[in-house]
Amino acid sequence: MLHRLRFIPGRLIQSIPVAFGVTLIVFFMARLLPGNPALALLGQRATPESVAALSKQLGLNTPIWEQYFGFLGRIFQGNLGTSITYQQPVTSLLAQAIPVTMSLLGLALLFSLVISIPLAALAAFRPGGARDLGVRAFTLLGQGMPQFWLGIMLILLLAVGLRAFPVGGYGNSAGDHLYYLFLPALTLAITMCPTIIRSLRSSMIDVLESEYVGTAKSKGSYGAALFRGHVLRNAAIPTVSVIGVNLGFLVGGSLVIEKVFALPGLGSMMINAIFTRDFPTIQGVTLFVALFVVVVGILTDVVYTMLDPRVNFGAKEQS
Amino acid sequence: MKRRIGIVIAVAAATALVLGGCSSASGGSGAGSATGKPVKGGDLTIARSQDIISMNKTNTFDNNSLRVMEQIMEPLFMVSPDGKTLKPWLASGYTISKDQLTYTINLRKGVKFSNGTPLTAADVKFSIDQDTASGAAGWGFINAAIKQVTAVDASTVQVTVKHPWGPLIADLSLFSNGIVPNNYGGKTAAQFYDAPVGTGPFVWDFWKKGQSLKLTKNANYWQAGKPYLNSVTWTVVPDSNTRKLQLQGNQIDIDDTPDWSSLASLKTTPGVNATTFPSTQLDYIAFNENRAPFNDVHIRTAISDATDRNAMVKAVLFGNGTPAYSMLSPGTPYYDNNAGGATYSVANAKAEMAKSSKPNGFKTTLLIQSGDPNQSSIAQIMQSELKAIGITMTIQQLDPTANKQARLAGNFDMSWNLWTMDIPDPDEWTTWAVNPTGGSNSAFTGYNNPAVIALNAQAAAETDTTKRAALYNQVQEQASKDAFLDYLFYSPYVFASTATVHGFHVTPLGNYQLEDVYKTK
Repeated sequence: MLHRLRFIPGRLIQSIPVAFGVTLIVFFMARLLPGNPALALLGQRATPESVAALSKQLGLNTPIWEQYFGFLGRIFQGNLGTSITYQQPVTSLLAQAIPVTMSLLGLALLFSLVISIPLAALAAFRPGGARDLGVRAFTLLGQGMPQFWLGIMLILLLAVGLRAFPVGGYGNSAGDHLYYLFLPALTLAITMCPTIIRSLRSSMIDVLESEYVGTAKSKGSYGAALFRGHVLRNAAIPTVSVIGVNLGFLVGGSLVIEKVFALPGLGSMMINAIFTRDFPTIQGVTLFVALFVVVVGILTDVVYTMLDPRVNFGAKEQS
Repeated sequence: MKRRIGIVIAVAAATALVLGGCSSASGGSGAGSATGKPVKGGDLTIARSQDIISMNKTNTFDNNSLRVMEQIMEPLFMVSPDGKTLKPWLASGYTISKDQLTYTINLRKGVKFSNGTPLTAADVKFSIDQDTASGAAGWGFINAAIKQVTAVDASTVQVTVKHPWGPLIADLSLFSNGIVPNNYGGKTAAQFYDAPVGTGPFVWDFWKKGQSLKLTKNANYWQAGKPYLNSVTWTVVPDSNTRKLQLQGNQIDIDDTPDWSSLASLKTTPGVNATTFPSTQLDYIAFNENRAPFNDVHIRTAISDATDRNAMVKAVLFGNGTPAYSMLSPGTPYYDNNAGGATYSVANAKAEMAKSSKPNGFKTTLLIQSGDPNQSSIAQIMQSELKAIGITMTIQQLDPTANKQARLAGNFDMSWNLWTMDIPDPDEWTTWAVNPTGGSNSAFTGYNNPAVIALNAQAAAETDTTKRAALYNQVQEQASKDAFLDYLFYSPYVFASTATVHGFHVTPLGNYQLEDVYKTK
């Protein structure tokens, strides 16, 4: 097993140029935006004189290449610079926002699996049947509803109507966080489900029609045992890559959800940073998201390798 | 020496004169009313769309931050609830010398910082000097007239000004001149503002960035028996719909600035009070006089005449505002309610166009901020009104920071903007707006009328309130004739709260005093 995971160090090394490219693009794209952070900080009282004075104070007058190499140099010391708006290390701002977004994504992923696997199985066992049609209707609905609308509907129903959940916020303790994250995670999960269900359903149908399932059935395996032992694992392989790709998108999707549910995550941090031209924060968030996508890609391959013994990325790379 | 102890009457006389008795600036439907006996205890939660940025009073311009720091650090003088006068706060009174150049300010006895140290003149001197030192990168400009601050003895401060300066007491009432311990109590400015200390009703507790900020009761507060609340928490809830739902779900007590569109439904929601408070906000369109044909007063007047202000109040504010006919707002001292601002008349607009340098019309653009539906409505109304008088106007949208950049660079034909006052004195705005050397090249318009500039300077140097009122009337009237801005409307502040919140009042400057607020069950 372990020898098949030998591809990981190689992948990590490959991700270095990717991350470098991201810093380069983000650093210069952010600075292409008209207006600078001093302008944003000074509000309606901004004058050419005050902008110049504050820019100088904030060190925005140094040449841009010098700023870029300073930024690169600091990264290797684990320092992402100081937020211009908050005058605090970007790493400490990230340390507050990352757990929020990551627990939201984690919980959303868990919910979507809990919803998707049974529904996909239900649909796949008799394609075209009433249950299949019901599940397909659900996927259509889930895909058609805009996230923010679904979020507001869930709030109205479960938080305002039934008072079962809070209307947005993040709470103060770990238990609180779970409670506060339930609705936003459910919202994300419902919009994520359709893709997972569709992929899982079609691969389950393929697997159910395959010869080895026929053999298993003829040996007397049926129901849950057949599902667990022969169907799910094989059907899951294409779905894992669907989830992997989707997780990357979800970071972007969580932006809207964070706004609706007033969650202090990466999305709200990024939006504020862009509006106030807080360059170091924009760079920090983007770099983190880029690394996250790379890591999810690697993890997807790891899960692949574990699910399917025939997959051996290491061997391919060596040959 | 003219002695003026006790109540500061800086602008009271002028107010009475101008408003002729209708000075009651009470809010709308009652969340502000402090009827009944105040109840001690309770925790207040206020939700608003954005987080604070910093507690540094000398260089923070963001309103969300200011409203918090005002609960911690207090100035020598405080604006009255109607925004028209000033009352002694950490000061107990002041006298002014005959030559109008020296203000001797007595400090209130028995005031302590929240850490227990008594307030002294040295703290006051340090605090004001720090603000002055922030210069152009901070609020230092507000103290531009101050020559020197001297601690005479422990409870007396002397402020000398470079020239007679009417707005001085108003300047000292600004949060940036709020009083902090001398030398920041031995800390650096950065360390100090991480957890600021002041004489205010509340004490810094914690700030979870992007999420919430909490202040707790100051046990050493100088107003006996206050504050009533044990704590105040501001939460960040960007979506106005979510704030509204949180209010209905009793998760928050006050919703800071609900959408205008939701105000009517909030007003009829049981257990919820939705209240408007008069503000000093003026929405206006600035003409760039450095670009033809906006250097032509007929063109500016024609556009101002063609502006349907009532339609804007209806479409943008859902009727919760009033059309603007002066560069000053009704919530500002020396507001002239007969300042002669343009009124809506397409016929007059056409007549002005005929007299102008472009009788057959022209093409132009209006710069607004992207992502703001209110500004889009304003722009669309302008677009259709101007079409009727032969002007083809396109709408240019830029995000707020890029928009500011374009205005500072003078890179626009017409641009939407708004102004709100920070001190109860018109000078902050009039000098910015009519004086090309006031920092912003006359609110980025290039407007330059020597007569108005002189009148405005004269008004600022005057300490007699009656004379000031007459001068500011002239400034307002001439500015209207010159149509250097197209005044649109005055909009109030809007807050929604649960019916258990009492004593919550917002002044026209936007500040609120939470030591007066209490909660019932």
